Amino acid sequence: MTLGSVVTDVPRTSRPEPRRASHRSRLRRRLAPYVFVLPFLALFVAFSVYPMLFTLRLSFTNWHGARAPQWVGWGNYTYLLTSPSFWQSLGNSAVLWLLIVPVQLVVGLLAAVLLDNARTRMRGFYRVAFLVPFVTPLVAIAQIWVVVFDKDYGAVNGVLRLLGLPAVGWLVTSTWAKPTLALLFLWKTTGFIVIILLSGLQSIDGSVYEAAALDGAHRARQLWSITVPLMRRTLMFALVMQTLAVFQMFAEPYVVTKGGPYSSTTTAGLHLYNAITRSDLGTGAANSFLLVIVVMALSLIFVRLLRSED
Amino acid sequence: MTTLTAPDRPGPAPATATSGRRPRHRALGSVGSHAFLGLLTLAFLAPVVWAVISAFKPAGQIVSSPLSLDPSQLTVSNFTAMFSDVPIGRGFVNTLVVLAVKGSMTMFFAPLAAYGFAKYRFPLRDALFGTVLVTLMLPTIVLIIPLLLEMKELGWVNTYQALILPGAVDAFAIFWMRQVIAAVPDELMDAARVDGCGEFGIFARILVPVIRPSLAGLAVLTVMNIYNDFVWPVVIASSQRMATLQVVLSTLAQNISGNRIGADYATVTGELLAASSVALVPLLLVFVLLQRHFINGIIAGSVKG
Repeated sequence: MTLGSVVTDVPRTSRPEPRRASHRSRLRRRLAPYVFVLPFLALFVAFSVYPMLFTLRLSFTNWHGARAPQWVGWGNYTYLLTSPSFWQSLGNSAVLWLLIVPVQLVVGLLAAVLLDNARTRMRGFYRVAFLVPFVTPLVAIAQIWVVVFDKDYGAVNGVLRLLGLPAVGWLVTSTWAKPTLALLFLWKTTGFIVIILLSGLQSIDGSVYEAAALDGAHRARQLWSITVPLMRRTLMFALVMQTLAVFQMFAEPYVVTKGGPYSSTTTAGLHLYNAITRSDLGTGAANSFLLVIVVMALSLIFVRLLRSED
Repeated sequence: MTTLTAPDRPGPAPATATSGRRPRHRALGSVGSHAFLGLLTLAFLAPVVWAVISAFKPAGQIVSSPLSLDPSQLTVSNFTAMFSDVPIGRGFVNTLVVLAVKGSMTMFFAPLAAYGFAKYRFPLRDALFGTVLVTLMLPTIVLIIPLLLEMKELGWVNTYQALILPGAVDAFAIFWMRQVIAAVPDELMDAARVDGCGEFGIFARILVPVIRPSLAGLAVLTVMNIYNDFVWPVVIASSQRMATLQVVLSTLAQNISGNRIGADYATVTGELLAASSVALVPLLLVFVLLQRHFINGIIAGSVKG
């Protein structure tokens, strides 16, 4: 080791590196990234890029699986853009976004601030409890949701009955199905958001607060005028991540409501799945790329908005 | 944990005594914060606790009186009925096989590729990484049809390869690990290089120890994702022999929506809660045992504010 470092230390100071020591190692260094990336790349091309390109081509064809695909140009896209059910699915996802993401960020930030405070007792316990939903298998909890929110036999209406309140058709009325679904999503993911935000909080230098405390800034003021701006990147990360998740949401409505009642919980993700189950593969493919465009546009807008607040 | 040690050490007391300008305000704030955190905890734990307890109630009672609990009537009949109705043991074995192989692949190849992306320059690197980001934005269901066709072409339907290889090196894992590795100073690697360390040696002996907390976080996240994955397994491994735990669970769940003719709501609900509890408990145990590594891993590995 020491001998090697002596040998290589000397040429490092002289400008043009002598060939002897570095030729092989430079070649290895040049080849290394290819070797490192290759296993991932092979799997990625075979099982992500290839299917993605296949889907892209499919989106310009009319194909139901049996006969050869027919080229229809932008046909699937214009069909979707003029289809009320496509816009309804986007609208449903937008409403779910409104019901979920602002609530999640506010509640998540408050909880994270409290968990970051060294004076809060049982912090370890809370952190574990908050992540229990995140660990719970979605299929299990979605089924539990179906049972708990059942109109006639569910535990939630059981509680309402004890309080003398009328039963609510949580999953069977178009008014309540979205909030009930949003609640499932909030339940499942808020704990993880708390931990993400906690990580952002812990990277803030404590001395900024000391300075603010000397200035007599109130706790709520501190949160708004110090914590939030300093956590902009973490908040942005959480915002973009959850926007992606809400607009791609598929498994939750698929298991809990099948998109009903009256398509009120047919999310953008479920809408494209429905096209696929109808074997309308071309439309399903076009739908997915439109969804990608929506999600990308939203992400870019959020990134812009949070940046321009400087 | 803190409550146990608090009496020994006068931890929070001096803080309030020295800076105790508004002790009353502080006490109120502490009550308020515990009320808030406690309420959230209740909301997060209640459904799971309810489901596990209800799984031990007679099936009829789960439905007729969901809130009652009569300890003398607790039974394992839902579990025995469920075990005889669905191949949940086989599901466990399949999930474990997939978990072991796919999990190891992710844990080895994702940090390795991320290292290549973060610390080397090579042609098309940024274009390639951009493609990784695009696939992150693409809903996973989009790829299911072409993937299914691909699997049929390969003759891989209802095989372990089909469950394991697609998504074995997850795009999110690459993205996350690249962030983590990019934050490690280059000097560390240059120093090792000067000492004659090979490129892979630098990764294995220098980098991996440095990013170990994030790797622990990735490990728990990977285990959870693979264990809980169900959309792709439902499509590709629907046979009884190959069904994973989540596939078994979702097949059972189909029955509750009335797909099984003549299935009685109470019986299916009981079996379903039993199956959900069985599926939930192992992961919950793993999580509670490893929670410190997991939480610290996410905190160490995430985007800094």
